[in-house]
This record gives sequence, structure tokens and C-alpha cells, in this order.
Amino acid sequence: MVAIETTGLGKRYGAVTAVSDLSLHVTRGEIYAFLGLNGAGKTTTIRMLLGMIKPTAGEAKVLGMPIQRGRPQPWHSVGYLVEAPYAYPELSVRENLELVRRLRPGTDRQAIDRIIEQLGLTSYATRRADTLSQGNKQRLGLAKAMLHQPALLILDEPANGLDPAGIVEIRNLLTQLAQEQGVTIFMSSHLLAEVARLAHRIGIIHQGKLLQELSAAELQQQRRRRLLVQTRTPQAAQVVLANAGFAGELTANTLILHHPAALDCPDDIATLLVNAGHPPTHLAIEQEDLEQQFLRLVGIA
Amino acid sequence: MNHLTAVISTEFLKARRSKMPLLTILGFMLLPFVGGFFMIILKDPVMAQRLGIISAKAQLVGGTADWPTFLGLLAQGSALGGIVLFSFIASWVFGREYSDHTLKDLLALPTPRMTIALAKFVLIWVWSLVLVIFIYLVGLVVGRVVGLPAAPTAVFWASTARVAITAVLTIALATPVALFANIGRGYLPPMGFALLMLMLAQVVAAAGWGEYFPWAVPALYAGMAGAAYANMGSISYALVAITSLAGIAATFAWWELADQTH
Repeated sequence: MVAIETTGLGKRYGAVTAVSDLSLHVTRGEIYAFLGLNGAGKTTTIRMLLGMIKPTAGEAKVLGMPIQRGRPQPWHSVGYLVEAPYAYPELSVRENLELVRRLRPGTDRQAIDRIIEQLGLTSYATRRADTLSQGNKQRLGLAKAMLHQPALLILDEPANGLDPAGIVEIRNLLTQLAQEQGVTIFMSSHLLAEVARLAHRIGIIHQGKLLQELSAAELQQQRRRRLLVQTRTPQAAQVVLANAGFAGELTANTLILHHPAALDCPDDIATLLVNAGHPPTHLAIEQEDLEQQFLRLVGIA
Repeated sequence: MNHLTAVISTEFLKARRSKMPLLTILGFMLLPFVGGFFMIILKDPVMAQRLGIISAKAQLVGGTADWPTFLGLLAQGSALGGIVLFSFIASWVFGREYSDHTLKDLLALPTPRMTIALAKFVLIWVWSLVLVIFIYLVGLVVGRVVGLPAAPTAVFWASTARVAITAVLTIALATPVALFANIGRGYLPPMGFALLMLMLAQVVAAAGWGEYFPWAVPALYAGMAGAAYANMGSISYALVAITSLAGIAATFAWWELADQTH
């Protein structure tokens, strides 16, 4: 079953293209991360999925239904958090949730207590929303999205403003929702490290276009590695390695090798250099970090 | 609970928790006291001058200190002050969703957007009517304290009806302001629109076309330009009704159709 399906979705504002030819398939029970830099088109896409912005091209279906304004479906089964979380400042946490409950018919009163406890807001339940910390405002935003136990959660930067403990807590909560209750989670983020821990699949968007879709395993496999070699005579060592078929680049007295055989057997490289009279003083495999990988994937690095 | 009632209750809860109802009551309450002040002067201008309430050079407008004059002042105040105050209420009820960035939470719900917009209009109408009833009741107390002579019942109720109808005409004109709060995404553009309409109403009324300009109709009806101008043709009231309905329809259309990026 498909939870979100877009076909050639696009949005133009005059001469500016915010999103172009976006085709996504998010299956039910999946955690799908939509990754991109600020201004890449993530929020515009989310707003189109929620019927807040009318696409100028293509179409989108949410929970099998085309998005049509004025219809209660599929919104009964969708919870969302778009951009920064905001609440009515003079209302308490509980009152803010009560408003959402009344706007979502069929949500029982106990749902408020349940979600307050689930998101660790119990001691803030009677506090005015404008006195909450950024992290607790984020929790309140998530509580509003999850109050009615939706089948699909659309979350824009859900980890924003949370401290490390809060990030882990929300990550565990979302994982649990997907695994135990089959909730589909479509989330946007600009932090690859965060989504790598959480998402089953990742779509990378840049300048309004979907560049790549890959699974968490593929993401791991695609992380680049390189072998760093330092010797007392780097130029000579470079010649020796090149003659043996391991051409490398020399940067600041460090030889950098990308050859798969060198990465698989760095000990062979060490043996080669020792035998040629240029023993390595430093030999290490360095893996591209997620930040570098992300920048490479979007074509910036 | 009926769903529309539930949605209306959310709007009332938001308003109740804010300081706005109190501020609007305090602002509007000036009206009966100013009316009472004029009645004191009209009752005995010489004594008012002797007590220093008014300057010896003050030019007093005509009129007598009685209930029809006093309630007429309330009606005129409701027409002029009401345009500003009811517009302020409409600006706040719609504009706050943009200023507080809470609009997006109202757009992808099982509750139709039009139901939410309608609930906001209901709040504006009820809030404005309660204000008018409140200043009317305060006015009755002020009139008694000032010692206005008893008026014949029919005259008294006719004056009361004039206050009520003026208020309804003025409240009806708040709906285009709501539209401007949505288009302008905040408080300032709708208030600018309301003040512009108020100024234009003065100009158009001075030019003698006031009965065809909706924003001039409530003040003319209240007797601002004298009794001769108070009896307008049904076209004047129809224009107010059409303006009001157009404001509602355009606001609904905006909520349903406009791209919401805020």
C-alpha cells in the first residue's frame, strides 16, 4: 500500500521553480526522510502534500486519495508539523491540545493525557505555551500532530530545537510508532546523520529536484573511503605506488589512495613501501562522514 | 456537541484567554460616559461653565438633555467608533493566526476550512454585539445617574432600536476587514483599510452621496448628518448587506483557494 504518491509534482512562483517534476512513492509503515538544504523545496513539497499550496504541475495522493480541498479525508488519518512549531501563546499546553482535539472530531478526551505523557509534557501541561522552551514547543508541536493517532505523520524537521536527549527520545518514539503501530512517517531534514539513524529510505532533494532515492543500507554502502599514507619521502613513495598500479594524489605530504584494492588490503601497501625503502609513518583508512557525503550527493562538495 | 458548535467554542476559548475582550470593553465604555458628559453640559450649560467642566468660549451644539438625544449619541458613537473597534476585532480574530503562525495548523484538518472561517465570523459578530449591549446597559445607568427626564416608552424604544440597527449595520461591515486581514496576513493592512473607509465615508457623505457608500450608511442612519438624512432608501441597506456578504464569500474563497505559505 502506498501512503504518499506524487507524480511529476511541481510548483512555480512566477519565474522561480520551487519544486520540479517530483515523483515519490512512500509505502505504508515506512519512515521516509526527505533530505535537502534550506530552500531545497522540502517545505513546499510538504505544504503541497497537505493541500496548503496548489501544485502548478503533477498530482499527489495521500493515503490513496487525491488531495482535494474541503474534504475531511484523508486528514482524519494524517498528523503534521510544518516548519517551526507554533501554538496559541496565551493558552496552556493542555488547552492548545484541547483545541486540536475539538477540530479533529472523534478524538477522545483521554487522548490529551496520553499524548502529554508520551511526549514528556506532564509537568508543563498547565504552563502557557509562550513560556515553554524551544524543545518543549517542539514537543507540543509533535503532540498536536500525534494526538489523534494518525496513520501517516508528515513532519518537517521534527528534531529541530531538541537537545541530544530529546532527539534520541523522539527518534525512539518515531521508530516505535513505525514498528509497532505501522505508522508511516514522512519527515524532512537537513541532517543526514539524524535521518541515517531513523529512516528506511531517504530522498535527496536539491534546488527543487529529487536527485536520488536510496535505502539506509545503500546510504552506508555509498559512503566513500580513502587510504591516507604518510612517509618521510612522499614524492618517492608516490612513484613507487603508481608503478605498482596504485596511483594517488599527494596533498600536504599525505598520499591519498582511492583504489579498492588498496582500501581492502592496506597491509599490502605497507609491505610495498617497506620493501621499496619508504616505510609508512602513518597509514589509515578514512571514511567520508555523513556531512561530507550529503554535500557530495547534492553536488556541493 | 454539534461540530460547528465545537469549532465555535475553540474560537471563543482563544478570545477568552486573550486580553482583547477586556481592552475592547474598556475602549468602548468611554462612549456612554462621553454621552453622559454631554448630557450634563446640555442640562445646565451655565453651571457647567461655572464648574469649569467646559470653557466659557465653548460652542455648544444644539440638543436637549433627554433619552432620545443621549441614545442618539450612543448610536452615532457606535457607528463611528464601531467601524474602528469592530474592524479591530475582525483584524485580530483572523490576523492573529498569521501573526502567531498558527494558521497552518487549521488547514489540513477533517474540519473544513470554511467551518473554521465561519466560526471566526460568529465570534466577531457575538463579540461586537455583546460590546454594544454592554455599552447600552452602561448608558442606561449613566443616563439615570445624570438624571435624564423619563421619555415616553415608544420614543425610548425607538431610540433603542436605532442604537441596535446602527450597531448591526456597522458590525456587518467588519467582514471585508476580515478579508484584508487574510490577504495582508496580519493586523495592520485591515486596520489601514478600515480607517481609509472611515475617511472616505466622511468625504463621500460631505459630497452628498453617503447613502450609496456602505461605510457612510451606519452614521447617516444614526443621525450624524441630521434627521433628514437618517431615512435612506432600501438601496443603502442592500449595499451594506451586499458588502457584508461579499466580505464573507471572499474570505471563504481565500481560505479555500489561496496558497497558504505562512
